[in-house]
This record gives sequence, structure tokens and C-alpha cells, in this order.
Amino acid sequence: MDRLHKAALITRLVQALRAHGSWCGETHIQKATYFLQELLQVPLGLQFILYKHGPFSFDLREDLTGFRADELLRLEPQPPPYGPKFAATERAAYIQGIYSQTVAKYRPQIDLVATQLGPRRVTGLERLATGLFVTFDAAAGATVEARAEALHGLKPHVSPEEARAAIHELDEIIRQAETLAC
Amino acid sequence: MAKHFHEIRDPIHVFVRLTSAEREMVDSRAFQRLRHIHQLALTYLVYPGATHRRFEHSLGVMELATRVFDVVTRDDNLNHTLRSELGELQERREYWRSTLRMAALCHDIGHLPFSHAAEKELLPNGWTHEQLTAALVCSDELRSIWNKRKIQSEDVVKLALGPKELPKERFSPWETILAEIVVGDALGVDRMDYLLRDSHHAGVAYGRFDHYRLIDTMRILPSPPMEDEEQSDGLALGVEEGGLQSAEALLLARYFMFSQVYCHPVRRIYDIHLKDFLKEWLPAHMFSTETDDHLKMTDTEVTAAMRLADRDSGHPGHLHARRILRREHFKPIYQRNPSDSAINPEAGRAVFFALCDKFGADSFRHDRYPQGSGTPDLPVLPRNGKVASSLALSQVLDRLPAVSIDYVFADRVIEKRAAAWIDKHRDEVIRPKSEEESHGQAS
Repeated sequence: MDRLHKAALITRLVQALRAHGSWCGETHIQKATYFLQELLQVPLGLQFILYKHGPFSFDLREDLTGFRADELLRLEPQPPPYGPKFAATERAAYIQGIYSQTVAKYRPQIDLVATQLGPRRVTGLERLATGLFVTFDAAAGATVEARAEALHGLKPHVSPEEARAAIHELDEIIRQAETLAC
Repeated sequence: MAKHFHEIRDPIHVFVRLTSAEREMVDSRAFQRLRHIHQLALTYLVYPGATHRRFEHSLGVMELATRVFDVVTRDDNLNHTLRSELGELQERREYWRSTLRMAALCHDIGHLPFSHAAEKELLPNGWTHEQLTAALVCSDELRSIWNKRKIQSEDVVKLALGPKELPKERFSPWETILAEIVVGDALGVDRMDYLLRDSHHAGVAYGRFDHYRLIDTMRILPSPPMEDEEQSDGLALGVEEGGLQSAEALLLARYFMFSQVYCHPVRRIYDIHLKDFLKEWLPAHMFSTETDDHLKMTDTEVTAAMRLADRDSGHPGHLHARRILRREHFKPIYQRNPSDSAINPEAGRAVFFALCDKFGADSFRHDRYPQGSGTPDLPVLPRNGKVASSLALSQVLDRLPAVSIDYVFADRVIEKRAAAWIDKHRDEVIRPKSEEESHGQAS
């Protein structure tokens, strides 16, 4: 996917996340984009690794900076001590208009991610995204218990109970994604 | 009596001190090769003083990495929580200090001739200079140095390259911090040294900042919180509030060095001509990834080949060598501007393809570089002890623009005609076509 198509989709995702109450810092965008690409198969061409708050893409970080340089995204500083929020600009809407077919094609996937992840905070996003990472990593049909254990192993500050709850929530999102694909 | 410490004079840090083990590393073939790799590729054709090499830069990175390590691991700079989270530091402080120094020394040994200039398109798919660095660190020659000092080569690789370049590796929080000291986006010492050193040699003042003050105020801190009442997990390199202005100065220095030196249009077109030359001259049109071949190939070999090619019209790469050595480089005829970017953020690409269609592809080159590093959202420790985002405290950082360049260059033979044509047709060329229009045309 070329850069401007990607810009149209990522900026649309930022708008959708904010519409669903997301703080929309970089971590929120990272996790939502991970779901969009890896679970919902939107071909953004990003490489994700397991990093500080779970799956993270340095490629996406570069894209976000590039989109700021192109005035498609802007940072909204917050009062201390909080990190900034991202917001899409008017120019982003213009780019989305040019690539309206691509935006329309992936709108259901973006809406699903925004609905499910927009209201969540960083700790919740970290659990779900890391849960998805271990689900992809696990053998097909791995149990909730096995995946929760793997999640707890990777993120020891997530208790086994919290890990199990996250995997249950994740499985519901996966089910909705499968329904969308049908 | 044999000396156990060795001193090397350095224009930036005055003295860089080495242990005998580190001297052995410096004397290795892989490190000595860096004496023949220009830090800034062909930038010396624009800024004549910029002839410094990766050799002294790597020594400088080791020196700064040590200073940062010593500050951030000093007992009174770590609170109780951090001490318990960084168990590896408590258990093996000296091991990690030595490994960090070695990693800093090694971080650039995989660079191709002329540093970054020739990397893209000149290595087999999936290869980067960082992978060459990893291969060299794990080579028999260097392994024998690590083994004697009980240093794990895998640890050296991790700290020298960081998580970004090693997506399959898992990093502990402590390893992440150490890698951040070397190659971190905001406060990494690789960046600190190259800004100071490049500005010194290029003869520009833009890259200077108060690195003494900055390093003295650096701390390992919790990542800044991102949302209301939510403390972030994870640790990062940050600064005490008193160092915030020095951090601002570093990030401004980066901005100015990129916009004034690294992205200077003539420097950029020399990079492109060099890449064109290498593509024609190299066997199989790319560099070998065999470590022995890599060790033999430096700027010296490439320069000698260019000089031969310049004099012999039958030599591969003749035309491109001439463009470099006789200063017959292509000239910029289009560059990014706010008005065009508002219509099409990829306006340069549109201009380039239109010119290629009209006049032929051989006469034009396109160069697009959007800044890659992220927003400088680093943790800051105010006097009240409540860690905050640098972007919430600094009135400079949130206004710092990201560098983005977009040039089109033309052969001097056609430059004026092409520029006149673009002046005339610019509006229609840069206007992006909607998907409906594009699909309508296709059908």
C-alpha cells in the first residue's frame, strides 16, 4: 500500500478512535493499528514487534512522524504530566476524499477496531494486544488458560486473572472480526 | 611496564580512554576498517571539512555511552522501585558497563562504504547494515575477544542495535534501557556524538548543544503517563527538569542539522549518483554480505574505482563517476513547498513521473525523505517527583517541525527546459487524481 493510501486509513482510524472516546496517544494508535493489520487483514505493510507496551511498530512510528510533517496529523499537547494526543487535520480529510474508495473498503474494519478499542485505556490495550500476539504465537486451538499463562509470562504485571479476562474479551473481538470477514 | 589504559585524543571529547580489552577490539579488522568509511559519505564535496570517519565517531559513542551509564546507574539517581525493577543492574553492573562500551564501539561496524549513502537497493533483499554488524560481532575473530572477557556476543548485538533492528529478539527492561543509551531515538549517544562531531567538522554551529548538562541530568524514569490518572508501565531514558532545555537544544540541533546539512540538496544528489555508480560497478549490482568481502570493501576501493571509471568511457559506471568527480551533478529543479504539499503531500513524486514521461527517465532523479524518528515524548522528572511528558512541559518540543524533503533533480543538459515545463504545468501535474478518476481512466 503506498504512503498516501496508508495516510488516508491511519488518519481515518485516528478520527474513529477519538469518536469512540480514545485518548489517542501513540500507544493507542499502535495497538489499534496492530489489530487492524494483523487481525482484520488491512494490508498496511507494517512490522510489529513485542515492545514496552506489547506489540509495537517502529515503521508506524515513522509514518506518524511523516504524517505530522505533511500536516495530516497534529499533536495536541496535554497539561502536565500527560503525553500528547494525536488528531487528524483538515488536510487528512482532503486525502481521505481523494482515496475515498480505499477508505470505504476498509471502513467496517476501522469501525470495528475503533468501537472495540476506542473506549479502552493503555493498560487494557496492552493486555488485549499482547493477548492477540500470544494467540498468533500459540498453536491453533490453544486454550484460554494456555494463552493467559503466556500473556502473564510476557507481562508479569498482568495478573493471571486479568490475563484470563483479557483473553476472553479478545476471543469475542476475534469472533466479531471473523463475522466481518464472512 | 605494560599499560592497562590507553588514551586517544579526540576533537570532541578531548580524550577517549580504552582498556586493553577494548584496544584489542579497536585493533580488529572490523574496527580498523571504519578508518576508511566517511561518516557523512560525500558530504565533503559540499562541506569540505566533513572528512571525518566512522572510526572516531564510534570511539565518541563509547565515551558518551559510558558517561550516561555512570550517571543513570549512580545509586542516588535510582529510586527504590527502579532498583528492584533493574535486578540485572544490581547483580552484574560491571559486566553490563563493559558490554555497553563494547556495543557502542561496534554499533557501526556493518556500515557499507560511504555509510548510509549506498545502503538502500545495494544489499540483497532483507539485509541491512545492522545485520552485517550482527554478523561481524558474532564472527570468529570478534568472538575470541568476547570469550576472553566472558562477554556474550548476543548481548553486544542487542545493545548495539536495539529492539527496532532485532524484531525477533526479546529485550528485558534493562536491556531496552541500555540499547536506548546507544541508539535511542531521543537521547541516544549515537545521535549526540554525530550531531556534535558532524557540526564540528562541517564547520556549522547548528549541531552544538550542552551535552555535559544534558548527560548530567539524564535518569532512568517510568514512561510518561498517557491518560488521566494512569501511570504508564515501562522505563525509558529521560531527564530531570533542569535538563529539559538541554534536551530541547539536542532536538533542535537534530532539526537544524537535518534541514541544513544532511538534507542539503547537493549532498543528496551526490548520494544518488554514488548509488547509480555502485549499481553499475558492483558485481551482481550489489554488495556482498560475506563478512570477508565486507571487510575488504571501503570508501578507498570505491573512490579508486570511480577515478578509473571517470577516465575510461568503457568502465562500468563511467557516466555516474564523472558526475561526481567533475562536479557535473544533476541540479535541483523542484523542491517541496507548503503550497504544493497542501494539494499533494507527494507532489515531488508527481513532478518526477511527469518529467520522466515528457523528457525521459535518465535525465531525472527523485529524492524523498520524511523524517522517521518519533515525537520526542520523553519522561521528565520535575521537582515535585511526578514524572511528566516532555511535551507537556516544553513549549519548544511540541512546536518542533518534522523534517521532510522532496526534491526532483535534472541533468544540466535539460535543466532549464524541464524547469520551464514544470512551471507551466505544475498545477495539473501535482493535483492528485481521485480513485474514481484513476479507475475511470483505466477503464
